[in-house]
Amino acid sequence: MILARLALRNLLRQRRRTALTLMVVVAGFLALSLAGGFMAQTFQGLSDAAIRGGLGHLQVLPPGAMAGDEAQSLEQSLPDGEALAQRLRQDPAVAEVLPRTQFMGLLSSGAKSVAFLGTAVDPVLEPRHMACTEALKNAGKTPAGAGSRWLSADPAVREVILGVGLARTLGATVGSSLTLMSTTRDGALNAVDVEVAGLQDLGLRELNDRFLTVSLATASQLLDAGPARSRLSVVLKRPQDTAREQARIQALLPGTSVKPWFELASFYRQVKLLYFAIFGFMGLVLFLVVLLATANTLLMSVMERVREFGVLRAMGLQPGQLLALLQWEGAFLGLMGSALGLAATLLLRTGLNALHIEMPAPPGTSHGYELDIHFVPVVYAIVALGLQATIQVSALFPGLKAARLRIVEALRHV
Amino acid sequence: MKVPTVPSAATRLAPGYTGGMLQLDRITRAYELGGERAGVFGVSLEVPKGCLAVLAGPSGSGKTTLLQLAGLLDAPDEGEVRLAGQAVSALSEKDRCDLRLRRLGFVFQAFNLVPVLSALENVMLPLQLRGVPEAEARPRAEAALARVGLSDRAHHRPSQLSGGQQQRAAIARALAPDPLLVLADEPTASLDHAHGGPLMDLMAELAAERGVTFLVASHDPSVIARAHVVFRLMDGKLIGEERP
Repeated sequence: MILARLALRNLLRQRRRTALTLMVVVAGFLALSLAGGFMAQTFQGLSDAAIRGGLGHLQVLPPGAMAGDEAQSLEQSLPDGEALAQRLRQDPAVAEVLPRTQFMGLLSSGAKSVAFLGTAVDPVLEPRHMACTEALKNAGKTPAGAGSRWLSADPAVREVILGVGLARTLGATVGSSLTLMSTTRDGALNAVDVEVAGLQDLGLRELNDRFLTVSLATASQLLDAGPARSRLSVVLKRPQDTAREQARIQALLPGTSVKPWFELASFYRQVKLLYFAIFGFMGLVLFLVVLLATANTLLMSVMERVREFGVLRAMGLQPGQLLALLQWEGAFLGLMGSALGLAATLLLRTGLNALHIEMPAPPGTSHGYELDIHFVPVVYAIVALGLQATIQVSALFPGLKAARLRIVEALRHV
Repeated sequence: MKVPTVPSAATRLAPGYTGGMLQLDRITRAYELGGERAGVFGVSLEVPKGCLAVLAGPSGSGKTTLLQLAGLLDAPDEGEVRLAGQAVSALSEKDRCDLRLRRLGFVFQAFNLVPVLSALENVMLPLQLRGVPEAEARPRAEAALARVGLSDRAHHRPSQLSGGQQQRAAIARALAPDPLLVLADEPTASLDHAHGGPLMDLMAELAAERGVTFLVASHDPSVIARAHVVFRLMDGKLIGEERP
């Protein structure tokens, strides 16, 4: 422990220089930890949006449903989707099963027709588990969307909810009458008159321009779908068990393809990769800065103590012990820097979150969000370990330089 | 990295050895200095156990070089260094380190106390490097400081001590681990006469009292006057040996 004590005293010898080096370590910790908290918020938001946007935790699909345009038709479907949903609802791990039918067609106002992508959902179950009413609220703020409401639970009522872009193209508002046209499972052309119950803002312009939602009863009439469903969205009681339940349920339903939400949410995966690339590069630069700053400090410290090292070596200190002394100095720099960095991160995080800063809309989305930097202990631990490793590496060169000093020359050093 | 508490084979000196504490046998160590050949050439001498021996001579006579060879800080080009009868010139760097730690003490002209440690901690340092627990090292260091009259300055940093006090602390540091041989390079050169004389008296007392051998490099007449044996050097060669 004498080396550790000596190392700590040495750091306190040049307090100003140690303080400056610590500031670099603290700044590195702060930047990486805040970025980590921001990333956690983004990933959380995107995963919530994906799961509550209709995917659920698991999707039960017909085999090969992810290939080609058939994904948007009943050509590939779960032929007895309703019975399958009923069976899954009995599973103790499953909170709810939401059957969905996806289809394509034309939506006409009489004067104008626009191609659409449609999703049919259960009008009773859907608002309980998905964020569909939030999309209605977002659109309800626009003049065309005033009075927006969710689909009627009455299976005899024919209603539609339009994406705000789709409604704009058709000049439709809440209460407008439109005609849905599509092909049945047998390939025959069919049409259903519907009334616009509401508009929805899904956050992505491309979806708002093409997307509409109807009840399963309306879709069943339009597509002559019977009990067939395109897919089932499964909501689990324990979301953290998604990967395990996916394997188990897949084994239960061999004629289907069971996918977890994170395999299907391509936007989530792309953003995650992009963030990892951006913040990974930023982290690399910061680690390099810390490496150079601490190496410089420790090297200067070695150059100032050449004669002292000569004396220690004369007294019998082994070269390896001098290396260890410099490693201890690096260790204390890292520990102090990370401790101060953590305190600064928690303070700044609290301050920034209290300001309720509105962030601009991310690329491809239509509205912003409030900054909420998450508290992520695992990120703080990774940053602290990364910085510590960087500093230990930076202490190697000065340590080796000290260990290689010739004693008689070191004792003559002025 | 912990220093082993059991001495290695190289540091186990011959038991019951009664000859000279240090023997230099035809030692040569040459180097270039300002374009000229300097160093020591074919020096042989023997320092008796428990005496205060002085290497005397003018600047450049080879006193410090010889002291560094005797202290295992450097290796001779030719010849053999024997410590308590054991040949040590061919030892590995690790064993030389170990031997310095366990058997030798050093006192330098510029005191060279570790500035971030108090006088007491400086004296404890070689003990702790040897693996002596703090509970044992502290009283031994306190006793060493008391012996050199520095008990009241034990918790002062070197910068808070006078030159004479620093050199006394350095002697306590050298003596605390009970070395066989203490090597001192111009120990009075940074002190005035009022402090230099008493310091050498202290060394002579300690040599007599503890049986520790002191080898001092100096051209200070007050140091030479207190020596039990004086080796006169000139241009890297031994030109005389006196036993006042």
